[in-house]
Amino acid sequence: MDCLAERKADGLSNAFRGQGSPAARCDSKLSIEHKLDQVFQCWGYHRIITSTVEHLSTLIAGGAIEQSTVIELQSTQAERLGLRPELTASIARAAVTRMADMTHPQRLYYSANVFRRADKGSHGGQQEHYQTGVELLGAGGSLADAEILLLLADCLSSLNLHSWHVVLGDAGLTQSMLLPFPAEMRQKVRQAIARLDRVAIEALPLAPALRRRALLLLDLRGRPEDILQLVSQLDLSVEQRSTVAALKSLIAILQETAKTAEGKATTIPSLVLDLSLLKPFDYYTGIVFEVVGDTELGRQVIGQGGRYDNLLGVFHPEQRSYPGIGFSLNIEALQQVLAARRQLPQALPAADWLVVPTEAPAAAAAFAYAQKIRTAANLVRVEVHLAEPTAPQAIRELARSRQISRIAWMRRRVCRKLKPSIRLV
Amino acid sequence: MITVALPKGALLEDSIALFQSLGLDFSGFLDKSNRQLQISDPTGTAQALLVRALDVPVYVEYGQAQVGVVGYDVLKEKRPSVAHLADLGFGGCRLSVAVQASSPYRSALDLPAHSRVASKFVNSAKEYFQSIDLPVEIVPLYGSVELGPITGMSEAIVDLVSTGTTLRENHLIELEVLYQSTARLIAHPLSYRLNSDGLQQLVQDIRQQTAAPAVSKAG
Repeated sequence: MDCLAERKADGLSNAFRGQGSPAARCDSKLSIEHKLDQVFQCWGYHRIITSTVEHLSTLIAGGAIEQSTVIELQSTQAERLGLRPELTASIARAAVTRMADMTHPQRLYYSANVFRRADKGSHGGQQEHYQTGVELLGAGGSLADAEILLLLADCLSSLNLHSWHVVLGDAGLTQSMLLPFPAEMRQKVRQAIARLDRVAIEALPLAPALRRRALLLLDLRGRPEDILQLVSQLDLSVEQRSTVAALKSLIAILQETAKTAEGKATTIPSLVLDLSLLKPFDYYTGIVFEVVGDTELGRQVIGQGGRYDNLLGVFHPEQRSYPGIGFSLNIEALQQVLAARRQLPQALPAADWLVVPTEAPAAAAAFAYAQKIRTAANLVRVEVHLAEPTAPQAIRELARSRQISRIAWMRRRVCRKLKPSIRLV
Repeated sequence: MITVALPKGALLEDSIALFQSLGLDFSGFLDKSNRQLQISDPTGTAQALLVRALDVPVYVEYGQAQVGVVGYDVLKEKRPSVAHLADLGFGGCRLSVAVQASSPYRSALDLPAHSRVASKFVNSAKEYFQSIDLPVEIVPLYGSVELGPITGMSEAIVDLVSTGTTLRENHLIELEVLYQSTARLIAHPLSYRLNSDGLQQLVQDIRQQTAAPAVSKAG
């Protein structure tokens, strides 16, 4: 009977410590967040916490975020509340009213859960996700763009991830290239490009020159140098030329930084310039990017971001806007990528000590002694043995199975002096 | 290595012929004795999965296959997040509303409100009847949809028609065409953007090989 109870307790404790257990998953998530946290702080970013629940009007950011993705809350009041599907809009809203009084740029980071209605037709798709990301507010231009991409690279390098891809586009440039399309066609062309739907473009009633333009945009991707050269040969406006020049200088900064000895940690291993990278709806106005990692389940988007120079104005009382750019990393996807490379803690760390009160009156002494060991300079994990099993041999077995290396046996008579008999298991 | 998802059934032969014309041989799937669901091209440059037509976009959306061949009807019904890269021209058919020839109905609008419509294409059927503002009950069936009106379970059906022989033999007539469908080349968006394993070249070769104009209009 005793033996059975012991096995049971044992099995349970292992289930909670092993890979895939709730505690181990939490441990691996925290280890990712902790490493990213340190990188953000090294780059001068400060953590911000915003509310999980917001007014729907904040969450949809003036129509830039599709309302259907927001999980709304039942509310007895007239106001409509929802759970945040992302943090950029909430942070823009929180920051904009204070921007006038603050020094620029503002460097902010967050680590939080976001909620999204699962896709229609998906069965049991995830609704709660964890994201860690940054927002750099009040700084425009290639330098700020470069900081964000280099910071992204440093983040992934801190996680020991060296094979990943960035698909980089420019929402402002691509949208301006859609302006020659008649207004009633523009959104359709944008949607078709965003969804890589070549067949739809071929079927749209477009003049031949416009169809060629749409098809060109759809496949405007490849090595940054090639694409920039190709785009430079197009008939561009002054503004478009300056955007292309900014993209060129951004790519140059990234490449030159990677060449320096110190810049190794911030190298982007594979960069595709893709001017078809658009979303049917969003708030991006400049560079946009997706970060792609390889998992055992195939390629996955592990992060995304971009520049949003009009978003803060949506929330400003006088519509005054400030430039902004940021990215977010999808923690669950990162966990999968790192797990595929066995770069996450496989199991929870074992306790260093098991303090066993050998009789009921020794309980206080056991807690006191455990506390004494915990005060050591380095982290020491100490567990107090609470009840079953009681036989010393069974306790030793238990400690061994859980890789606890030391047992302190507390007896009542040594209570005051706190002198246990110590055994190495 | 590029993985291609090929649909079992009507589109298989033409799909295999298409890849053969590019030097990729998956004709092993046509061998009656074949039981393999995954085969490699003899040159070792690509492999193919043999899956049900409805599952082709699933394998492509999740990236286990980088490209696939599937009918527009499946894409319209399932709306997967995949890149639609070419109309391959073959496998032409149409999704239609049909009723018993002996019935008084000669247009979809003649159907009484709240009548039953049997279909495998639940979403397309629902969307169509909403567009003509006719409330109907869609009865999902997975095969032999023609039996719906014959047994009296439903007044009408929404089903794929290619030659019309099945309808005629079951004394059904076509009232409306919801849309025309042909085989499409689809791709996993991320792999296409990153040009994994020279995917863009393969897609370009396929497009040149078919170069067929879009047969149907989206909608």
